[in-house]
Amino acid sequence: MVDVSQHELVPDHTLLGDGDLEEVLEEYNIEKTDLPKIKRTDPALPDDATIGDVVRIERDSRTTDTAVVYRLVVE
Amino acid sequence: MSQHAPKEIHSLSFGLMDPEEYREMSATKVITADTYDDDGFPIDMGLMDPRLGVIDPGLECKTCGKHSGSCNGHFGHIELAAPVIHVGFNKLIRRLLRGTCRNCSRLTPVDGSKYADLSEASEAADEKLREFRGNLDEARSLRQDLSDELKSAMRTCRRSSSDTNEDKCPYCGEVQYDIKHEKPTTYYEVQRVLASDYPERIAQAMEPDEEDGERVTPPELADETGIDPGRVQEILSGSFRPRESDREAIEDALDVDLTEEDMNKLMPSDIRDWFEDIPDDDLESIGVSADKSRPEWMILTVLPVPPVTARPSITLDNGQRSEDDLTHKLVDIIRINQRFMENREAGAPQLIIEDLWELLQYHVTTFMDNEISGTPPARHRSGRPLKTLSQRLKGKEGRFRGSLSGKRVNFSARTVISPDPTLSLNEVGVPDRVASEMTQTMNVNERNLDEARRYVANGPETHPGANYVRRPDGRRLKVTEKNCEELAEKVEAGWEVSRHLIDGDIIIFNRQPSLHRMSIMAHEVVVMPYKTFRLNTTVCPPYNADFDGDEMNMHALQNEEARAEARVLMRVQEQMLSPRFGENILGAIQDHVTATYLLTNTNPEFNETQSLDLLRTTRIDELPDPDRVDDDGTEYWTGRKLFSELLPDGLDLEFTSSAGDTVLIEDGQLLQGTIDEDAVGAFGGEVVDTIAKQFSKTRARIFINEVSSLAIRTIMHFGFSISIDDESIPPEAQEQVDEAIDGAYDRVQELIETYERGELESLPGRTVDETLEMKIMQALGKARDSAGDIAEDHFADDNPAVVMAESGARGSMLNLTQMAGCVGQQAVRGERINRGYEDRTLSHFEPNDLSAEAHGFVEHSYREGLDPKEFFFHAMGGREGLVDTAVRTSKSGYLQRRLINALSELETQYDGTVRDTSDTVVQFEFGEDGTSPVEVSSSQEKAAVDVEEITNRVLDEEFADENEKAEFLGERAEPTNLSEHADDWWMAQSDD
Ligand SMILES: [Mg+2]
Ligand SMILES: [Zn+2]
Ligand SMILES: [Zn+2]
Repeated sequence: MVDVSQHELVPDHTLLGDGDLEEVLEEYNIEKTDLPKIKRTDPALPDDATIGDVVRIERDSRTTDTAVVYRLVVE
Repeated sequence: MSQHAPKEIHSLSFGLMDPEEYREMSATKVITADTYDDDGFPIDMGLMDPRLGVIDPGLECKTCGKHSGSCNGHFGHIELAAPVIHVGFNKLIRRLLRGTCRNCSRLTPVDGSKYADLSEASEAADEKLREFRGNLDEARSLRQDLSDELKSAMRTCRRSSSDTNEDKCPYCGEVQYDIKHEKPTTYYEVQRVLASDYPERIAQAMEPDEEDGERVTPPELADETGIDPGRVQEILSGSFRPRESDREAIEDALDVDLTEEDMNKLMPSDIRDWFEDIPDDDLESIGVSADKSRPEWMILTVLPVPPVTARPSITLDNGQRSEDDLTHKLVDIIRINQRFMENREAGAPQLIIEDLWELLQYHVTTFMDNEISGTPPARHRSGRPLKTLSQRLKGKEGRFRGSLSGKRVNFSARTVISPDPTLSLNEVGVPDRVASEMTQTMNVNERNLDEARRYVANGPETHPGANYVRRPDGRRLKVTEKNCEELAEKVEAGWEVSRHLIDGDIIIFNRQPSLHRMSIMAHEVVVMPYKTFRLNTTVCPPYNADFDGDEMNMHALQNEEARAEARVLMRVQEQMLSPRFGENILGAIQDHVTATYLLTNTNPEFNETQSLDLLRTTRIDELPDPDRVDDDGTEYWTGRKLFSELLPDGLDLEFTSSAGDTVLIEDGQLLQGTIDEDAVGAFGGEVVDTIAKQFSKTRARIFINEVSSLAIRTIMHFGFSISIDDESIPPEAQEQVDEAIDGAYDRVQELIETYERGELESLPGRTVDETLEMKIMQALGKARDSAGDIAEDHFADDNPAVVMAESGARGSMLNLTQMAGCVGQQAVRGERINRGYEDRTLSHFEPNDLSAEAHGFVEHSYREGLDPKEFFFHAMGGREGLVDTAVRTSKSGYLQRRLINALSELETQYDGTVRDTSDTVVQFEFGEDGTSPVEVSSSQEKAAVDVEEITNRVLDEEFADENEKAEFLGERAEPTNLSEHADDWWMAQSDD
């Protein structure tokens, strides 16, 4: 089976710890449910991601080198 | 209207409405279907009862005491003789019927028959309900759609076995049946019962069949099923109906189905009773709030009657009243309702009652939605389908899309557009008759009093006039031809004057389809005679406008804020750079490009008169030093020199033009190269783009205006036209073309012969047939290209078609090839033409002819003309193109609508995030990098933001000379220990 998370075009998805999550929510002054969503079945997610977790996605960007996005795992 | 202070809406709650609530809020019960009596007064407790609100002026509302206009109207109600189903909920009703017990009405999340006893079953069911609640809580915490949870819970509750009467309620053990829904509002309970022809079916099954040719005898059957042999005989003769267990035994033994469906219609009253018993707690666990939405409220017992203000009647010219469609529908409902009651009281037979019930259901259903599939729409006497509640809301003309999201506005005008190259691109020519209709409000004070009086004195018909004045006490007076002189004298400071549009006013201009933000821009008014809006041709690209009959809309702005915003943000020059690709969308087009090419490509010379004539419509009124002076003293200026006059000082650029040469601009002087599409064109002309970004948009606007003025005079100087002779090639060239095509025909013939001999080798991944097709296409494509090349070789550089193609003004070399050389292969769906008759494209060819001419190769050029067969194939290819564009526009239009609706409420917040109205983050940084596409470099190779270049520019600006700059940067240290004797050396170090 191909592990898509290892593909060069798939950015790193890492689970966010409680402390880090707290910080992120603080920074944007939002609640967890205001984050963009990602499906639990998404093949790019780490295996231990469960519904309600937040992942940090670090993408390569032409203009800013890296762009960081957070997503809430749903369903 | 607004007698109350505006209130902030804190929350909205959606739910079903309790029939008691209908009765409570009702202004009156409606019992008669009549509207007005013979004297024209509304009948009490009729559909036009004055308690439901007033529409006739002068009458007083019997409920609120207000007059028409200020009374919003009040609901009434009809007491339905029998409950009816609300069509809007038919799916939910079906779900609930299928997922609750027919006896105790509890949810049936598990099948009771799968458990040992009821207590075990109910335990399991309770567990399931808790699970539903858990799912709901999770969905709530993740703010997901709760109706999805309801759907999935009800799927679990739906009976598993639909064709056997096996499923049992886990709470009371009652056997459950399948529910059949006949759209829109009929529900049946389906039971499996013993078929009436069971003896025949058994006898049939006992006959020998093909595989095992043994006939089953009755004793054998009795043996196998364990039924008494005498009973078997009775069953076979039809005199005894087998019990359930016996039936199943016989079915097993003979592998036969002895049941048939028995449909038992559920009346709305049955359903209502059923739903009334569903416990609140069970509803809670599927996400239904019982105090807001009891399911039995989906079965109507009371029908609200909309206020008369929602269905006003109109009086026709002949004095007859014409009622609204809703009123017609309500009349029907009340009539049937009454007949129903009368019949029931008279003890009419059940059949009649049921018919009336169905009719009542039909009328209530069509009252709410008259476009339900499977139900004939209720029609007006004329045959027109009635517009009922749902039709008022739905669709493009409906309340939402037609009245709330978009509505008609005042101070707007629409007319045909035509070009006017003398206007600036910021301006628009407005016909005087439009300018006299659209007005701007003048607040009169001491300083503009005279001016205001002049407008009023001119009256409403002379152009810079006024249409209305408003006195300080709020009275609005119409200015007429008669009273204007008199009124003008009365105007004082503090009055308001609605004056006509005049030159310099700012308005908004728009062309549909408004696909991007440059489709709506602000222009300055120039009032003109005649009837069309005039615009500078350089604004055609952003609007995608041409002058073949296009019309555009204009909106006059009505307050100072709007005018300021339009001027600062929306003016054409401010929209110069497109946010789509970050480069200029305004610039030279068509003849402008041709002209700048003619002016700069061969760099022709002009004498003084000619030079001044070319520049006369620009701001340049003095010529620079001449490029060449003749022996007799005549001075000459080159085209590039004249063009350079328009460039700002300090502009340095180097790029490749679309003509292919290198353009070099130093300090605002064009030193070499051709100015064409890539330099000054719309859609990213380098020079325009650079001026807009490095200088200012105002400078770029001046540049574009002047380039187009210069270009127009240039093209008038040279003259530019094209005719059929410009595409003709000499006979020897024609011979070469024919040779090339004949050569291709030979190659195709060779290929076909190889193919027919079976010797053609297929390309990897292709069949032999596909390979042949590809190779033929290739050979013919090459033939067309070489025909094009031959034709091209014979065209002079000043051939107008070549000039246009080379400069990028219009057309391409391919167009030229097709006009002069050979039109080439016609294609449908990317293949040679293969359709038409059996095994051939036209009856003119032999079947299975694979040759070029039999499959749509057009060997002639457009100038030569096509033969009939070629013409036909060409039309086939052309038709495909037309269909494609038609399909594409409709598809992309719909996609556009969906996208706009999805994205319209997104907003960039002050913290840089992009969020929707419920504060959900869509992007953590606008566009991932927080930059505006028009402010950063659009090139793929260079960095989006070149910090180095920006700092260099800032530093160059900041310091007077290189030394000072180097000193500031610490690259050079000023010596601090020099004696005055070294001054000579020191002076030699610096530039001056
Ligand atoms: Mg047009
Ligand atoms: Zn009222
Ligand atoms: Zn039950």
